[in-house]
Amino acid sequence: MLRYLSIVFLAVAGLSVQAQTNKIEFEEYDLKNGLHVILHEDHSTPIVAVTVMYHVGSKNEDPNRTGMAHFFEHLLFEGSENISRGEYTAYVENAGGTLNANTTNDRTFYYEVLPSNQLELGLWLESERMLHAKVEQVGIETQREVVKEEKRQRVDNQPYGSLLEETMKRAYHVHPYRWTTIGSLDHLNAAQEQEFIDFYNKFYVPENAVLSIAGDIDADATKDMIKKYFGSIPRGEVSIVRPSTPEPPQTGEIRDTIWGKDQLPLVLQAYHIPAQGSDEFYAVDMLNQVLSQGESSRLNRAVVEEKQLALFCGAFSFALEDPGLTLGFSMANLGVDPMQVEEAMNEEIEKLQNELITEREFQKLRNQIENDFINSNSSVAGIAESLANYHMYYGDANLLNTEIERYLSVTREDIMAAAKKYYVPENRVVLYFLQEQIVE
Amino acid sequence: MKNTMIYLAGALAFLLTACGGATKLDRSMVPEPASAPQINLSNYTKHVLDNGLTLIVVENHKLPRVSYRLSVDRDPVMEGSKAGYVSMAGDLMRAGTKTRSKAQIDEAVDFIGARMNTSSTGVSGSCLKKHSDELLTLMSDVVLSPTFPEEELEKLRKQVLSGLASAESDPGEMSSNISQVLRYGKEHPYGEVQTRKSVESITQSDLIDYYNTYFLPNQSYLVVVGDITGEEALAQANKYFGAWEKKTIRRNDYAMPKQPSGNRVAFVPLNGAVQSQIDITYAVDFKPGAEDAVAASVMNSILGGGVFSGRLMQNLREDKGYTYGARSSMVQDPVVGYFTAGASVRNEVTDSSIVEFLFELKRMTEELVPDSTLQFVKNSMNGSFARSLESPQTIARFALNIERYQLPADYYATYLERLEAVTAEDVLAAAKKYIKPGNAFITVVGNKDEVADKLARFSSKGEVEFFDAYGNEWVDYRAAPEGITADVVWEAYFNALGGKEKMAKVKSYKQSGKMAMQGMELDMNSYMKDNSKVKMEVLMGGAPVMSQVFDGKKGVISQMGMKQEMSPEDQARMQEEADFMGETRLAERGVKSELLGVADLDSGDAFVIKLSRPSGSTELHYFDVKTGLKVQTEIPNPTPDGGEIMAVSKIMDYKEFEGVKFPVKIQQIAGPQQLTITISKVELNTKLPDSTFATE
Repeated sequence: MLRYLSIVFLAVAGLSVQAQTNKIEFEEYDLKNGLHVILHEDHSTPIVAVTVMYHVGSKNEDPNRTGMAHFFEHLLFEGSENISRGEYTAYVENAGGTLNANTTNDRTFYYEVLPSNQLELGLWLESERMLHAKVEQVGIETQREVVKEEKRQRVDNQPYGSLLEETMKRAYHVHPYRWTTIGSLDHLNAAQEQEFIDFYNKFYVPENAVLSIAGDIDADATKDMIKKYFGSIPRGEVSIVRPSTPEPPQTGEIRDTIWGKDQLPLVLQAYHIPAQGSDEFYAVDMLNQVLSQGESSRLNRAVVEEKQLALFCGAFSFALEDPGLTLGFSMANLGVDPMQVEEAMNEEIEKLQNELITEREFQKLRNQIENDFINSNSSVAGIAESLANYHMYYGDANLLNTEIERYLSVTREDIMAAAKKYYVPENRVVLYFLQEQIVE
Repeated sequence: MKNTMIYLAGALAFLLTACGGATKLDRSMVPEPASAPQINLSNYTKHVLDNGLTLIVVENHKLPRVSYRLSVDRDPVMEGSKAGYVSMAGDLMRAGTKTRSKAQIDEAVDFIGARMNTSSTGVSGSCLKKHSDELLTLMSDVVLSPTFPEEELEKLRKQVLSGLASAESDPGEMSSNISQVLRYGKEHPYGEVQTRKSVESITQSDLIDYYNTYFLPNQSYLVVVGDITGEEALAQANKYFGAWEKKTIRRNDYAMPKQPSGNRVAFVPLNGAVQSQIDITYAVDFKPGAEDAVAASVMNSILGGGVFSGRLMQNLREDKGYTYGARSSMVQDPVVGYFTAGASVRNEVTDSSIVEFLFELKRMTEELVPDSTLQFVKNSMNGSFARSLESPQTIARFALNIERYQLPADYYATYLERLEAVTAEDVLAAAKKYIKPGNAFITVVGNKDEVADKLARFSSKGEVEFFDAYGNEWVDYRAAPEGITADVVWEAYFNALGGKEKMAKVKSYKQSGKMAMQGMELDMNSYMKDNSKVKMEVLMGGAPVMSQVFDGKKGVISQMGMKQEMSPEDQARMQEEADFMGETRLAERGVKSELLGVADLDSGDAFVIKLSRPSGSTELHYFDVKTGLKVQTEIPNPTPDGGEIMAVSKIMDYKEFEGVKFPVKIQQIAGPQQLTITISKVELNTKLPDSTFATE
C-alpha cells in the first residue's frame, strides 16, 4: 500500500503548470503554532482531500540511518494514543474513503480522500498523527517486515529496480541525495526505539508541516475545525538544520556497468542540473520534452522507429529542492549493442547543441505544456498536493496558477544553451544495465 | 512554596484552556459524520446520425478540454487458425492512412499536445477544446481510411512473437490461457488463444477484412465529454464521421458455454516452478444490468475484494501465510461473464490452499454474512462510487452502458439506493446463484513432479488433466517402436557423431565462436584437454569477462574479476563435460538412462531419454528419430535465490571436424533469458598448455 515514491520513468507527469483561464482560488494562513494551512473550495463532487505535507525526506537523514523518513511513512499508520493499532485505515475505509502516503528525497506526504461529510474525521486522524502517533517497538518491528517486503517487491524484483540507487551513489558524493529514499535495511535494523522517537519529535511538528485541504468544504466551518484539532498541538523544541553543503561540480565522466537479471540492456545517462524553480531548470525540462514526450519526440523517432535500436526511450528531470539530475535512457532491442544505442542518443543531443529546434517543434512543446497544465488540476487530491508543494519549496502556493509563465518564457536559444552547458560528458554518469548470465 | 505551586498550576491550566479553544476537546471521541452529501449525476444527451452512428455527449465545462471515444459494439469474432489478427488490426489502425504515414500521424497528434489511441473496438483521443478540429481530422482519417501498411504489420508481428516466447514460461499468461480455454471451450471466441503458428499466418488482408466487416457506424458509439455543447458535438460528429458509410451488420451467435458437471482439475506443467498459480473459475451468465448485479458485487467484495478485508485474503494471507495475495472477481459481460478466484502459493501448500479456497466459496453459499461486515463493505463501495464521479469519464461510461445494454435511464442515479437496500439474504441468494464450489475448473500452473499428484482429490473424476501453455491437451510421449531401448538410441547417436572410434581420437580441442545474449554479441572459447580438463570463457573486447574452469580436480567460476569455487554438483557436471567420451560411460558414474518414448518437437519426432543422477537430479535429452543426433536437452539450473529454473537448449546445427560432428549452433532458453551460441571454428588435438586450465 503506502507507496515509496521512487522516480518512475513516467515522472515527466510531475510537470505541473497553470493557465490564466482556470485560476485555482485558495486561501492560506498560519496557526499560532506555525502550521501553514491552505484551503481550496470546489463543490463539483461531494468529496474532500485532507492532506499533510511534512518538510522531511531522505536528505534530512543521518548518513548512518538512511531510510528513516520513508520508514515513518509506514510507521505513522500504526495508530496514536486514541487510535488502536491497525485501525487508522479501517476508519477511513469504513467512512468510504481512501488514503495513502509517499516519501521523496525532500518531503513526506499523507492524504485521505473522503466523502465531504467526513471532513472532521480526516482532520482528527491527521491531528492525531501529528500530535501523538504511536512510535514504539511493536509497530517498529511490524513495519520493518513490511518495508523489507516492499523493497523486495519494488526494488529487488522490479525491472532495473536498482537504477536509482546505482545512479545517485555515483552522481553524488557529498550531498545526501547520494542515498535513495528506501535507504538501508541494515540502518533501520540498527536504529533504537529512542532514535525513532527523536526523529518524530524533531520533524513531525506543526511548524514543519503544511495542511492542505481541497474539495467540497465550507471554508469558515473548516477553519473552526482546524483550530479545534490542530490549534493545541505544540511547536517542536528541536531546531531543524537542513543540509547546506552543495555537491561540488562533477569534473569528469563517470561510467559503469551494472549486472542484473533484466533481459534487455538499458543505457542510462544522468546529467547534473540546477535546482527546481531556477530559470535554467525550465529550459532543461523542455529539452527533455523535445527528446522524449510523445511518439514524434526525437529519441523515439530516431532510436526506436527509424534505427530500430531500442524498444523504448525516455528523458525526464528529477526535480529536487537542491540541484538534481536529468535522466535519459533507452531500453535496447534484442540483438543490439548498447554502445550503438548510446551513440544514437548522443547524436540526438549533439543536434540540440548545434541547431535550434524548429519553430514548429517549439510550438509543439508549448502546446504540450498547456495541455498538461490544464489536465494536471483535474482532481482535488492533486490540487491539494500541488498547493502544498509550491508553498513548501517556493513559499508561493500561487505558482500553481503562474508557473506556466516560467515555461512559456523559455526561448529556443535557452534550450540550446542548456544543452550546451549541461549535456556534456564531464557532467554525466553513464550506466549500462546488462544481464548477468551463467553459461553452461 | 505550596502557594507558588498552586499559582503555577492555575496559570498552566489557564494557558491550556486558551490554547485548546473554548471547549475542551476530547480526542478519544471519533468525530461523527455530517449529514450525507447529495450525490448528483450529470446528464447526457443522445443523437443518432443518418449513418446510424450514436452520439452521446456529456457536458463538463470545468476545464477547457474535450475527449472523444469511438466504440465499435460488435459481436465477438471467431478468429480460428489466425488467432491474434483482430487485436493486431486494432493496434495498426493508426499506423498509416491513405494520405498520412505513421510518422505524420504521430507528429500531428503531438503538435497539438493531444493523445490518441486505437484498438480493435475503437479509437479514442483527448485534447484542449481549441484543438478539437485538428484532433478530429486525424481521428476521422484513422477511422475512415486506414491502410494497415505491410512494413508496420511486420514490425508488430516481431513484437507479438517475442512476447509469445516469454509467455510460454510465464505462469500468469499460462494460467490465463488454460482458464480461458476451459471456461469457454475452443468453439467460443472467448476461448481462443493466439499461438506462434496463428500469428505467423496473419496477412494484411485479414486486417483489412476485419476492418471492412466490423468498423461500421451503425454499430458504433461516439462519446464526447468535456467543454462542449450538444449542438457543437453534433456538428463535429456530422462533419468528421458523417461520410462513414453504413453497411449490413454481421451478427455472430455462439452457444452459451457449459459449466462442468463436477469439479475438474487442470494442470499445466511449468518445469522448475517454485510457486503454483491457482485459478478457480467458470463461465457465468452475468450480464450488465442483471437484477442482482449489486448484491453479487457486494457478495464478491466480501469474499475476495477490498484491499485486505476480503475473506480469501484474511484466510490465505493473514491467517495461513500461504500467499502474498488472494482475490476473487465476478466479471460482467453481455455475451458471457465469469467468476475467478486465485492466488500464487508455495508448492507445498498448493493443495491446502485449494482446500481453503473451496471452504470460503462454500461458506459464502451457506451462511448469512454478519451485519457489521455487510455495512463495512457497503460504506466502502458507497465512497468509491462517490469518488469515481470526480472524473467526467465515469459519467460517460455510465451513459454508454445505459445505451449499449438498454439499462433504465436512472440505473446509475439509483445505484446508491440499491446498494443500501442489499440485505444479508440478498448476498446469500447471489452466492447460491453464482458461486459454484462443486462445478468449477481448478487450474494450476506449476511444478508437475512436486504438486500435480496431490490434486486428484479435488476432481470429481478423481483425475488430474494435463495441458500445455496454450491450453492444448498435454500429450505424454508416444511409445517407441518395438526393440528400441535407451542403449540403442545412444549407440545411434554415437554413430551419427562419427562413431566411437573417431570420437576416441579427440584428445583436446579449442572451439571458438560467438554468443549472442540480450542484445550483445560476445566472443567465446571453450577448451578441453586429456578428457579431464575443460574451460569455457566469454570475452568482451578481447578481455575475459566470465570463465568456468575445471582443472581435473577443482572447478572455479570467475565473473567480472570475482572468483568462486564451484559447488560439488557443478564440479561433477564439469568433470563429465571434460570427458569427450563421457556419454559413453554414463553407467560407470551411476547415471541411469531411461527411454521415455517419442516426442513431437518443432524439429520433428525425437526419442526422449531421461537421465537420473546419483544426486537425485534428472534431465531430459532428445534425439532425432531420423538422424540419431541430439537435438534438445532440458536441464535444471540452480537460480541465485535457491530455486531451480529449467534450461532448454536446442541444438540447431552440427558440423563435421576431422570426421566427428560438433554442435555449431545452440539456442538456450532459461526462463526469461535467451542466448544463442554459434561456433565458427573447432581445432582438434592442438597442444594446449596446462596454464589454460589454471584455477588459481
